[in-house]
Amino acid sequence: MAGVQSLSHSGICVHDLKEAEDFYCGILGAHPHAGVNFITEDTIKGRSVHKSVVLEDYLIALALVGDFMPMPPDEQLWGAHGFRHAFTVARNRFDATLGVLRQRGIRFEGPIDHPQAGPFGQSIYLKDPSGNFLEILWRRDEAVAYDAAPVPDAD
Amino acid sequence: MATMTLAERPSTLDTTGIAYLAVEVGDLDRAVDFYSRVLGLELIGRDMLPFCGTHAALATVSGQWVVLTPNPARADLSETGVHQGYRVSVAARAAITRTLLAESIEIRTYTEDRPAEAKDNFYFFDLDGNRLQLVTAKDAASQTAISGIDHAAVQTADMMWAEAFYTEELGLPVDHRVGWNTADYVRARKWAAGEEDMAPGTRRLDQRYTVMVNRKTVPRANMQLYVRAGSSVLGVYLANKHFQEPPEEQAAGAPRIALAVANRGRLDSAARLLASHRRSFEGPVIHPQSVPLVEASLYFKDSGGNFLELCVARKGAS
Repeated sequence: MAGVQSLSHSGICVHDLKEAEDFYCGILGAHPHAGVNFITEDTIKGRSVHKSVVLEDYLIALALVGDFMPMPPDEQLWGAHGFRHAFTVARNRFDATLGVLRQRGIRFEGPIDHPQAGPFGQSIYLKDPSGNFLEILWRRDEAVAYDAAPVPDAD
Repeated sequence: MATMTLAERPSTLDTTGIAYLAVEVGDLDRAVDFYSRVLGLELIGRDMLPFCGTHAALATVSGQWVVLTPNPARADLSETGVHQGYRVSVAARAAITRTLLAESIEIRTYTEDRPAEAKDNFYFFDLDGNRLQLVTAKDAASQTAISGIDHAAVQTADMMWAEAFYTEELGLPVDHRVGWNTADYVRARKWAAGEEDMAPGTRRLDQRYTVMVNRKTVPRANMQLYVRAGSSVLGVYLANKHFQEPPEEQAAGAPRIALAVANRGRLDSAARLLASHRRSFEGPVIHPQSVPLVEASLYFKDSGGNFLELCVARKGAS
């Protein structure tokens, strides 16, 4: 077993860095972290064009793609287009989060109730401005502290 | 300076637009001849403004000035996005075209990304390698000469700093962005394929540094930010080569973009605005009567080391 420990960061391909940053930071609540290829040195090195944002302790690289990606139909808010990022909010914040999304004109589907026996309470499904599928949910077991995967023996 | 409350802090420069541009040239007399004879500007005097060194001031019909100052060590900016855009009538552009062709000066028809300039692909270089653009405007008054200054573009080494400086700190609204959007990079491939002739500074070929995927050359849109400053537009281009910025402690110099404000109170507000963002500046400087064009100025630099000035024109000077 390779013994990887946890997720480090995600790369999300987008069509517009400004609207992506406005969405992830201005609406979802992430914080701007860095930008690459916005300085002369990066152009000389030929680095990729992206911005990174931090959501709590998790870094998302918003990578600008050089070609338009085929995206799901505009009206489809729920699915897995290659992948889907799911974000957690506390149960007592969930309704307020939905209110903010409605206020900002962000379309979403749900809330969807999950089975009582499962760890998830409710989810909503939405897309970022480029059309990437996202999910926001609250967990029934939010009070449970989880440990990271065990560190494998150095041997 | 006393501590300000948020309510006291101004949110914008409140400029009415470009008052003048200080442009570096090689030979001053030759440049004065070019800008007056070919472009129709009127020489109004020499050495009329502080922090421009030896210079000549020329007036456009609009009352904006072009200040030519010689610098034999000036940087070659011909391959960058740095340029000046002037408003002309259709008739004036035709007249200037005839003069340019008679002088064997090549007229370039490349285009830029900013939608407002998409149909104004009329460029040429002055005799010192400064790129000029003529933008047709319905309100351009003169039938033979440049009517006014439309926009000016500088370069910077950090676009995120530039965006923060011009939009968040100075409060200038964004007119257009280039390089933030996939469509810009799709379009860049048309330039690389020879299907589009684009202005210097708008495109580049990046040599990808990585060997993780593959090593290749990638055509890209070069980052550009345009902000509205009153009736004018300022463009900021990402520099593709390292360039020497002025010393950090130097607040005034040339080349320079001077923006007009209505009165000295606006200069005081701008000084408070810059101070609130911990920006260095000089002034407001109240000029003596021996300075005929401006009565007061505030000097500072943008985040890329480009000299800027806010000024109050002396009554009757415009």
